[in-house]
This record gives sequence, C-alpha cells and structure tokens, in this order.
Amino acid sequence: MRVPEAGSREPGSLELSAAHQWGDLARGTAGPLLEAAVGTAAGGGASYADVRLSETEELRLYAVSGRAPDERIEGSLGLGVRVLVDGVWGFASRPLRDAADAAAAAADALSNARAAAAGSRERVVLPARDAECGCYQTAVAVDPFAVDAAVRERIVSDALAAATATAGVVQAQAGVNAKRSHRYFASTEGSRQEQHFVESGGMVLAVAAGHDIVQRRSYPNSFHGNTAAAGWEYVTGLGLPEQAARVGAEAVQLLTAPVIGSGTADIVIGPAQLALQIHESTGHALELDRILGDEANFAGRSFIGPDAVGRLKYGSPAVNVVADATVPGTRGSFMFDDEGTRTRRTMLVTEGMITNFLSSRDSAARIGSESTAAARSDGWGFLPLCFATNVFLEPGTGTTDELLDRMGAGYYLDDNRSWSIDSQRLNFQFGTEVAWEVRNGKRTRLVRDFSYGGITPQFWGSLEASAGPAEFRTFGMPCGKGEPKEWGFLSHGAAPALFRAVRIGVA
Amino acid sequence: MPGAWAGQDHALAALEDALKSAEADQAEIFVAARTGEHTRFAGERVHQPQTIVECQVMVRAVAGTASARVAVSSLEAARDAVAAASELARRRDGASGKADTVPHGVAGAATIAGTAGLWHESTLAWDAVARSVLAGQIMDAARSAGASVAGVLTAAVTELAVATSGGQRCYAAATEAGFSLTALAGQASSYAADLGRDASGLGVRERAENAISQAAAAQDVIAVPDGVHDVVFGGLATGELIGFVPDFGFTGPAVAAGIGLVATRPHAVLAPSDITVADDATAGVGLPFPFDCEGTPKRRVELISAGHVGGSVSDLASAAATGGMSTGHAHIARESSPAPEAANLILMPGGASEAELIAGVERGLYIQRLWYNRLVDAEAGTVVGTSRDGCFLIEDGRLTAGLQTGRFTESVLGALARTDGIGSQLITQPVPNVWNGCSSAPAIRVRGFRFGSRQGKD
Repeated sequence: MRVPEAGSREPGSLELSAAHQWGDLARGTAGPLLEAAVGTAAGGGASYADVRLSETEELRLYAVSGRAPDERIEGSLGLGVRVLVDGVWGFASRPLRDAADAAAAAADALSNARAAAAGSRERVVLPARDAECGCYQTAVAVDPFAVDAAVRERIVSDALAAATATAGVVQAQAGVNAKRSHRYFASTEGSRQEQHFVESGGMVLAVAAGHDIVQRRSYPNSFHGNTAAAGWEYVTGLGLPEQAARVGAEAVQLLTAPVIGSGTADIVIGPAQLALQIHESTGHALELDRILGDEANFAGRSFIGPDAVGRLKYGSPAVNVVADATVPGTRGSFMFDDEGTRTRRTMLVTEGMITNFLSSRDSAARIGSESTAAARSDGWGFLPLCFATNVFLEPGTGTTDELLDRMGAGYYLDDNRSWSIDSQRLNFQFGTEVAWEVRNGKRTRLVRDFSYGGITPQFWGSLEASAGPAEFRTFGMPCGKGEPKEWGFLSHGAAPALFRAVRIGVA
Repeated sequence: MPGAWAGQDHALAALEDALKSAEADQAEIFVAARTGEHTRFAGERVHQPQTIVECQVMVRAVAGTASARVAVSSLEAARDAVAAASELARRRDGASGKADTVPHGVAGAATIAGTAGLWHESTLAWDAVARSVLAGQIMDAARSAGASVAGVLTAAVTELAVATSGGQRCYAAATEAGFSLTALAGQASSYAADLGRDASGLGVRERAENAISQAAAAQDVIAVPDGVHDVVFGGLATGELIGFVPDFGFTGPAVAAGIGLVATRPHAVLAPSDITVADDATAGVGLPFPFDCEGTPKRRVELISAGHVGGSVSDLASAAATGGMSTGHAHIARESSPAPEAANLILMPGGASEAELIAGVERGLYIQRLWYNRLVDAEAGTVVGTSRDGCFLIEDGRLTAGLQTGRFTESVLGALARTDGIGSQLITQPVPNVWNGCSSAPAIRVRGFRFGSRQGKD
C-alpha cells in the first residue's frame, strides 16, 4: 500500500471563488489531518481506509406568523474514518478539535472492525482501484452568507405578510436557508479530493382553516421548500413574496373545494409531486444495499432483485431514469461521492427496462459490478450508504398544455401532502396539496384532499408521455436511511407527465 | 463503551465561561453531546459497526427586539459562538424596523428533578465485542432455523447541559440501550425492538429467538383481506399510531393559531376512559430526561386524559404566545423552525396480556409493525400507512397465517375510540429526528379498523 505525500496531490490547484473562502479548513490545514488519520488506520492494520473531513456552516431564517423570527447559523467540523481490517468494516467519527481527534477516530474505527470480526461470518472483498484526485466547487454568483441581514429579513417578512393577506389563513411560515461546506477525502489507495459546496433555498407555507377543515399550500415545494446548489441568486429568483400571495389564496380556496370519490382516472402529475414519486418508487427501489438486504431491518428491501438489470420491465417505453450528479445546480450535484468514486451519468431505467443500480463499492462488488457513485453520507458523522444522487425522469416533448389536451379529461395535481410506500417500494399512496379537474383539456375546478396510489411497475407502466425540457424542474430534498438514521441530501427532477388509468382516492 | 463526552464539570464550566462574553440583553447556551455505538448486522455480516460522537453547542442571544442563534461543534468554541450570536442579534436588531413581535426570553433558575434512573453501568458494559458476539449468535440462530436476520444493537451516552443569563444551570447524562431486528423466512417475517436506559432489561437474545421462530414457523404469507377487521396492534405498532396524537392540535403553536383539538374541542370525549396518552419524560419509561434544551424542567402533559382532550406541550416561545408556562418541550429539529415537541409519548398500560387481547378476537388481524405512516388529515386524525413485518391472521383467538403488507387509511382518533383492550407491557421505540425522542406503548385491541381497498365503497 502506498500513501502519497500531501504535496503530491492535485487538490489545491483549483482557484476557489470568494464564496468558498471561509472557515477553519483552509488549504494546508486539512492535509495533515487527513494524513494523520489515514496513517493511523494504515499503521493499525487496515487493508483499506478512507477519511472524510468536513466543515459546514448552515444559515436558516424562519418566521412563523405570530412569533418573532428565528435566525440561526450552525457550524460543524469533524471527521469520519472507515477501515477494512481482515475483511471486516469499522467506522468511527467525532468532532474535530485538534490533530489528536483525527488519530483517535481512526483508532476507534480499527477497534470497531476488530470487535465486529467476532460476529461476522462472511468477509468483505473490496476490489482495489487506482487513486482518484480532483477538486470541485459549486458555481455561485452571489454569496448567500454575504447577504445583509436586513435583506434576508425583508424577503421573509414580505413573504409572510403576503401569505397571510387572504382572510382565512390562520398560520403561515416563510424562510430562507443557505449552507456552505468544505469536504476533503483521502484513502489508503492514494485518492485525495476536495469539494466545496454552497446551497441556497427558500420556502413559504400557508395554512387556512374554516368550515371545520384545515388546508395547506406551499411553495416552491412542500415540507422543506426547495434548495439548490447555487448562491443567493436562487433565492431571489424564487419570487417568494409573489408566490406567497398565491399559495395563501389557494389554501383558502381549498376550504370550499369539493372532494372527489375513489376510482380510476387519467392524471398529469406536476414536477414537484413527480420528484417525490421518483424518489420513493424509483430511487429507493434501485438502491443496491437495500436490494442486497443490508437495510432490511429499517429502510426495508426492494421488489427489484440483484439480477434485474436487463431483465425486469419497470415501466413503459417512456420511462427513462438517469442518475447524473455531473449536472450542476442541484442538491445531488458533486464530482466524487463519499467513498471517493468519481460520478458519471448512469442510466438506471432505459425505455422501461432496469439498466443499473444506485450502488457503492461494497454493494457493487457483491454483484460483480462497479460502483455508480451513490455512496453518500450525512456529513462527517455517518457512514456512506446508497442514496440517490441527482436522479431524474428524462423529459419528453411539448408542453403541459399539450399533455392536458392529450389527456382530455382527468386531473392535474402537484405538491405533496402525504406519502406512504411499503418496505418493498411496491405499494404506494400519495396525497397532494392541490389538484384541478381537467375537462376538454383545460384545468377547471380545484379539488381538495386528492390522493392516488398504485403498484410501482404498473404505475410506471402507465406513463404515456412527459412534457419537454422547458418544463423540467429539479427539487432538492433530504432522505432518511440507516441505523442510526442519517439524512442523504439529493435531488430529483421531472417535467409534468401523463399517466393513464391510475387509482385515485384512498386505497 | 466510554462514558460521558463532555462531563458535568467541564460542560457547565465551559458554558458559564462562555456566557460571560455575551454582549446581549439575554443569552442561553446549551451543549448536547452523544456518543453512540451501533452494531449493525445483516445476513452473515456485522456490516456497519460504528462509533459516532456528536456535539453541538448552541447559543441564543436576545438584543432589543431581535434574537439569533449560533451553533458550533465543540465546547472549545463556545465563547466564539456566544460572541457571534450576540453580534448577529445586535445586527438584526439594528436592521429590523418596527417589530410586530418580540423574541421570548430565557429560562430563569428552576429546580431540576433528580437524575436517578438515567445512568446504568450495564449499558456501558455492553461494549462492541459483546454486541458483535451477540449479533453473530443471532445470525447463527437464524441460519439454523432456515431464516435470516438483520438488525442493530445500540449503546449510547447522551448529555445535555444548559446555562442561561436568567440564572439557570443544569446538566444531566443518561445511558441508552436499544435493539431492533427483523427475521426473514421464506415470504414471512417478524420483528422485535425495545429501547431504554438499561441494557440489562432488553432481553435481546430471547426476543430475537422468538422473532426467528415466529418467522420460520410462518414461511408463507397471504394477502391482508380487504375490509374492516378487529385488530390487535402490538406495542410497536401502537406506538407508531400514538406518535401522531400531538399533530392533532396538542402543541402550543397549534393552540396559538386556533387549530386542532385543544383549541377547538377542549375537554371533548375522544376515547374510552382507560385511554390516556401522555408526554412524560419524568416517568421511568423509555428515555426519561429532566429538562429541555432551554433549561426548563420537563412536565408531564396528558394530551388525552382518561379519554378526554387534555393539554398541549410548549416551549418558552409558544408559552409566551398563549400566556402559559413552558412545559419543557423545546426542540430544534434539523432544517426546521424551532417548535415544541412531544418527545416522550406514553400510552398508559392496561391490565391484559397480549395473548389475552388476541384471544378476544374470533377473526381478525395481529399487526406487529407499521411503516411509512403519514398524516393525511389532522382534523379527523387520519393517517395513511402500511403494515410490515410480523403480521398474522387471528382465527379463533390465536395467530395463524402470516400476512403480506397491507395498506390502511384510517383515523387514529377513531381507532382509539374503538379500543376495548389495552395490554400491560410497554415497548419503547425511538422517534427519528427528535432529540431523545421515543414512544412507549402496550398492545391494544381495536374493534373495527379498515385495511385494504375502499374502491367502490365511498
């Protein structure tokens, strides 16, 4: 095993933009810490080890009607060390105060691997590979951390005022967020990588009450709003105050909207809801660690087997799903995953047929394949698991209006209200915040409490067409998996799409 | 496993020192630290043995009509965090115009309950080698029975210390031990889990063997018959259901907004008189803890009290908005606005054994585990979800065929109203994304709970 000197690495050659020049992990300080951890692991008997060192700062300003705004900046600095000793994994992580913590984390990881050998009946065989070195940074026009507090405050207070302007709105929330992080990676294989990320986002939520019911509307996506890999320009582009007025009014309109009965119908699903549909029924179903049973106790398994590639018909010929973290601007955009695999465009579903998985080095090796760079973790503290990256349904052609015209009669729905899918990712039921009845190809009345459900391959088999690239949208979202539960931050995208004969109403 | 990461003396001294540097009208600071050791296993491997140390120091400073929080990941940076929070609060105060609302203050000095029962040496002794050996034995037992198993064994130490400019100083450390495992045999499965402060009370080996035996005996599964059934929910499934109760209006912000049961139907009858759902971190159940991250002592709050609508949980901000006192439920969830959280839910036990509840069903369902449950309608208490592992048909008062996953869309409030039997044994499970969060519940028997399709019935 060869551990290169810090000076021989490529990282450091990239000129960082101003938005990335912050924090304690300036160039030159990360290198010795990484080498200390890698050296301790290698010297302690690890046949393989990798170290992730990261520093993160997260800014959140939220305002809830009737309460004083709450602004917070959360910083975090730490490292995680993963080792392979005699074919058994071990992992440890801790906050970083000084160099001693780097060595201590490596020692803990070694200790865990040796302890785990007492219970493991199978050994890990990890194919060796060449070193990967490189640098990456998010393109940022306006540093969100340089934005004046008064500007943040104004956007949020204006959005809150607009959301509550319609009588009947009883509660509203508005917020903006930004995150920046430095991530350094080193392995005993000689990989040395550094990636620098900036994210920005915003949200508004309006809750209306009346007629003994409560309804909600949100923008630009439900629950957490939307966050992109971008600077403050993304937040200003959202137009939060203008959209807040719309969602407030729609929340009130929903109070008197009718509820439709159960049955089957043709539906056009908007991009925000379709992003979650992809996440739950496509992304999770194609995680290889889940398929191989590693997550059977918590996140669950998958109806898709490890031999599905080229054999399992997942959907209609219109279903083309791609994992592509090289596409910039999303929460799933990066150059290297959290075990140092360089990302690339990977077709997961091609014309309805399964063509690959979201995999890590360990899981890929077990089926004789190569990692698709989907090993991702919740910062320095947690193990990399198979998470979606930037997974999206490729757009088709035309516009949403043309899709509605093609559908004739049915419903247009968007923005998730509730989501549920079984542990095999097969039987699902989703509720949306909003739906419009479509007659003669035109949106007509608003309906409330809309839900639809199905069985994953049948549902995707009913996809007839998607709108074109001009209406394609991406949505960043967090995802929970693992024990202890960690969050993966990822992205999904789609253009509105037409599905035929879908079950609507409750299951 | 190692003991406390920060320790009482070091933690309180660091917070005290940091607080002195506050240049704000009021300030509060807490450190939440946790050392968690997790032995994950699946199939034939201990595939994810982990030690995770986490530490967050969070400061909240109030200046004029504005406040700000700053967090760092080490006590050594606490002074910097206080200075940064003070500066940000002052800057926000200067930037804001006429404020419509004023920030809430910080907790004053208050007596904290004792910490008896929080610390157990048996949990510290349940080290990585002991957990790995046990995991191997469980996997061996599964293989011998023609089954496989996946699970996690956890030992942890949690610490929280709070200091405020109002004079509050508090620290507590607690051990935590838990497990969960899924046994798979053919198409059938079973599940076991529990959580508490004391590892010696978990009974992992016995419960693992029971789960393996149950899955191996079933092997095949049948579809959940569509329709309305008498259902016995095991303690874990019941815990999932009662986890939604706070969402029905039992929080301070909901009360302030005039939404939900406490605001709109105070004292209304919801369920039989033997149904009490409380949030109680002072009871010796689950993961007790004496105070919240604002330094407020935790109080027992009965959300559903002997079948009636009870009270709501609050933090300092929502208590100020509703004119009451904080119940000690402050919480700051990730990527979310701070809001009070019912973090230690308990459905008070009854007197029946689970076998007795099952024996009282001529034909129905036993549901051990629910999954991916989501709130659909907070007013009606409607939740959508599925059953998962370890579910069986009940015929003539005993478990028979294993069941496939079944979907439901049902009202939790309705289910509680139709409960006619409550078990005596509490089982605790973690509540993800909630600091020190758990729910504890016994099995219940519900007369009339729909699983499966409603197509054509609405």
